[in-house]
Formats: sequence, C-alpha cells, structure tokens
Amino acid sequence: MSKARVVIGVIGDDIHVVGNRIMQLALEESGFQVYNLRTRNRPEHFCEAALETNAHAVFVSSLNGEGEYWCSDFRRRFDEAGLTGILLYVGGNVVVGNRPAAEVESLFKQFGFNRVYHHKPDISVAIGDLHEDLRNGATQP
Amino acid sequence: MARPSHNAALSGIEEYRRQVLSHPLARGMSPLEALDHFKSVPAERFPCVAYAQRQGVPCTQPRGGFPLFEAQRRLTQQLSDAGADFIPLTVDSYTRHNQYETATQLLKRSEEEGQNYLNGYPLVSHGHELTRELYRGLRKPVSLRHGTPDARLLAEVALASGIAEIEGGGICYTLPYSEGFPLDRCLLYWQYVDRICALTSTKDLPIHRESFGPLTATLVPPAIAIAIEIIEALLAAEQGVTSFAVSFGQTGSMVQDLATAKVLRSLTRRYLVECGFDSVETYLVYHQWMGQFPPQREKAAALIAGASVIASMISADKVVVKTVDEALGVPRAEINAEAVDTVRYVLRICGCLETVTSPLVEREAALIESEVCSILDAVFELPGQAFWQSVFRAFQLGYIDVPFSPHADNANRLISMRDANGSIRIVEPGAVPVSDDDAREERALLETRKDRAEKTYLQLLSDINMMV
Repeated sequence: MSKARVVIGVIGDDIHVVGNRIMQLALEESGFQVYNLRTRNRPEHFCEAALETNAHAVFVSSLNGEGEYWCSDFRRRFDEAGLTGILLYVGGNVVVGNRPAAEVESLFKQFGFNRVYHHKPDISVAIGDLHEDLRNGATQP
Repeated sequence: MARPSHNAALSGIEEYRRQVLSHPLARGMSPLEALDHFKSVPAERFPCVAYAQRQGVPCTQPRGGFPLFEAQRRLTQQLSDAGADFIPLTVDSYTRHNQYETATQLLKRSEEEGQNYLNGYPLVSHGHELTRELYRGLRKPVSLRHGTPDARLLAEVALASGIAEIEGGGICYTLPYSEGFPLDRCLLYWQYVDRICALTSTKDLPIHRESFGPLTATLVPPAIAIAIEIIEALLAAEQGVTSFAVSFGQTGSMVQDLATAKVLRSLTRRYLVECGFDSVETYLVYHQWMGQFPPQREKAAALIAGASVIASMISADKVVVKTVDEALGVPRAEINAEAVDTVRYVLRICGCLETVTSPLVEREAALIESEVCSILDAVFELPGQAFWQSVFRAFQLGYIDVPFSPHADNANRLISMRDANGSIRIVEPGAVPVSDDDAREERALLETRKDRAEKTYLQLLSDINMMV
C-alpha cells in the first residue's frame, strides 16, 4: 500500500521553521509521505502543491498569527481546483492576540478546515486524527 | 580548489562605495566620512581597547534597540550605568531586510504616537549625524547587532556613526534569518562590509568584526558552528580585517561548552595562521542560552547565572547576556540593566583564573576538533576561483548543514539529539563529511542516554526545549 501524502508548510511571512521541521519528521515517522513547502507560503502554494502531489491532506501552520488573514477562503480555493474531498488542518498560534479557543476553532471551521489546533502543540494528536479521518474515508485517494 | 588568500580583497571598492552611498539615506556621506569621524572618537570606543583593559573577567554586553532616539539614548545611559562593557545597538527587522521606506514610515508613526512600531533602532532612517549624538561622551564600544543579509548601507551608516564593532557575516546572518536571500550574494555583500571595516581601521585602532555562532540556536552541533565561525574569520581576514571575534551559543551541556570554547579558540588561531593571516587578533564571545527561555523569572535568573559561571570557566572575552523577561518579549530598559548587574555579580564571585578542563572535556574536544578539520579540509578541496565560491558550494552539497535553518540553500539532512550529559550529538550527518570513526563515536555517545523517547520528533522537542 502506498503512503498517504501530506503537504505541509507555514503560511504568510512567517519563518518559524522549528515546528515545521519537527512536523515533517513526525509525519514521516508515522508513515506519511511529506511534501514540505517550509516557510513563507501563500494559500495558492498549498493548493498548487496538493494538485501536483495528489495529496490526501494539507497541514497549514502559523505561529505569528497571520493565519486568520490568509486562510479565509482556503476551502473555496481547493474546491475550485477540484480538490473537493481533501483534508485541511491548521495549527499553531493561528490568530493575533488572546482569543477564546472555541471562537478560533469555529472561525477556522467556517473557513473550511476539518481540524483546528490552536495552541495545541502536541503533534501526535493531529497525527492520530489524520489516521482516523483517512480511515473514515474523508478523502478520496 | 580555493584556499583563503590575501589576493581576495575586493578591488575597485571606491567606485562600488560611491554606488552604495548614492542612496538618499546615506545623506551625501563620502567614503572618507567614517575614517574622519573616528579621528575624534575616544580610543575606549574600540573593542580592542576594551578587551585589552578587561581584567580576568569576561566583558558583558546586553542587547537592546528602541525606535525612538530619546529612548535609545536613555537605554544606552542605563546600560552603561549598570556596568555593561559593550553597548548594543539592535536594529529593527525592516531595516535588516533593506525596507528602509517602511522603517522610516513606522519611525515617523512611532514619533507621532509615542508608541513603538519597530522592534529596534532604524539606524539607516535615523542616519549617521543623529546617531553620533547617541554616543557623545560614551567611552565604551558600541556593537551593531542586526541579522542583515545585505548590510552594505547599514554598515556604512554604522561606521560613520562611530560604531566600531559590526556583528554578522554572509553565512551567520543569512542561514538563521532568511528563507530565500541567495547565499552567494550574501557572501559577496559581506565582503563589502569586511572591506570597508578594514579600510576604516588604523593599525592601532581597528574596526572590530564579530561572527554570530549561535546560528539557529536549535541543536546545532558544535562542529558545524565552529566550522562556520572559522570560515567567517577567514573571509573577513581576506578583506583585511585584523580584529575579529568568533562566538558560540550555550549548548545546554557544560562539558560541551568547555570543549567547544577550547576548540573554537585554538582552531580559529591555527587556520588563520596557516592561511597567512597571523596578524589578526581573535577573541571568544559566549552567548547565554539562545533557545526557548523559561517563562518563570526565578528559573530564567538561574539559567542566566549558570551561563555566567560557564562564561567564566571558558575565560570568554565577552558574554552576551539575557534577561529574566526573555520568554516574554523585548525587555524594558530597567530589566536589561538589572541583567547586566546580575551577570557582573556572578562573574565577580565566580572568577576563574584559567580555562577549566577535565578528561571528559578533552575527549569531547578531540572529537569536535577532528570533525571541524574534516569539514574544513573538505571545503578547501571544493572547486572555485575564490574561497567564497568553495564555501557556497559546501552549502549546496550539504557539507555544512545547519539544523532548523529556514534557508532554501541549507540541506536540512543532518539530524542531531542530546546525549546523557545534554551534549548535542550528530545522529545522522547527512552529507556533512565527518569521518566514519567520528560518526561512530557520536552514535556511541548518544547511546549513553537511557531515557530516549520512542519517536525521534518527541526526542527532538524535549531536547530543543530542555531549559523550559
């Protein structure tokens, strides 16, 4: 069986690279094929990479809080590209300022993300969720 | 192959300088402006004089930069009053990325609203004439701290402002700070900076250059940091720099800090002499923990005190100090001044007359030294018409690989972790040319650690955040 493919990267003008590199190693160690866009990406970079690699999932990170600005039409962009079933996850410190976690989660779900990890640094939770979402056929490989 | 050479000094620099100085923010400065200004600057403003005067105890240097002139003037005074031996001028990040217009606009807004819209002092926007006023009456060196891949104009303004220490380098200010600024261009731009520092020097009072050895401060094996420090010393020497400090960041292991200091000091000297640069004076600078700091002030203070003891044990020429608010953001001037005072206290009560060593330190030092020599010898063998070209190629090939660098020219294949005493071990060297024996010893030392996490990434997370 071929490995599930995940595109990862940091969005905006954010160059926080440590978490990005750790996430790559964590996903690889958990059996995924990772395409790492590294730092300073625009939404279209994620979309283009997902198309090119026929990805199952996209992990967007933001540590400096630019996530909210860049992610608002994230799902629509993927739908327009025909990537309708793709899993979209976002995590890190995705908004500027101190806002209730529930509010942030509901905001990014409106943007079309399947999973939101705001201030939840344990990557293994997201990896567990990804295994589960893929088992449940949330995406068409 | 291209070894460092005296013949590598930039030619045609006069015309090149006129081009750089044609920028409006150079305010009509001539290439002789800095040299003329330094004639009226007291000798104590030069690092070589400050280093010569230090008596057994490392010099101290805080960090600090505010956008407004008055705030920077007050900070300078407070840090000096607290006993700092070197005064910092930390530059804002727009200026670091050559976005002078944005920096100028945000400076104006900061002035109008009395709030800080920049995270440092916009030196190019303020200009050399005003900045000279910051240091009127000061009898200590000022150190320019930034993180600028293209620092040509910034360095011109700094020198004309009477700043006699310029931190940085084509590698150390690019790989940790930039994601895409081409490394070959940075190496060439830093040749310019080194060259104008040399041209602004006199025999007795040279402009001082310092490299930034902590790099990403995230599990960087000492051999990688030392190789880069030596390369930057050689690149500066090629341009005629005669006063240079190599540096490294606290590794998280006392044994490894002692070993790193020993090897960094001796190999820098050895390679400079071997390449014909005997006349370069070298100094060793130690950075207190550059990774994630504990948010609790008591723990932060303890970490700073411990780092100060190590600075003393390695007989560092200078220690760059952190503050108890490190985890919280840019410290207030008072907190910064307190940090200087605390570190000076520890250095005074924990004086160390000679460098401390032990069989464990010697074993670690021998391993690091062997690795550094393997890397540098391999770099020297790489093709190129000039040394900088071999250096650039070394990064393209992954011979030098800085963990957690955001830069596109970094290989990102080396993986490192901590062993039982906290020392950083090379688990997977990638393309870094360490010998088979050294690679085996690295792995054997890693095996000393019994409590390793099951997954690599969990181990890395705990190793990175060891001080929190």
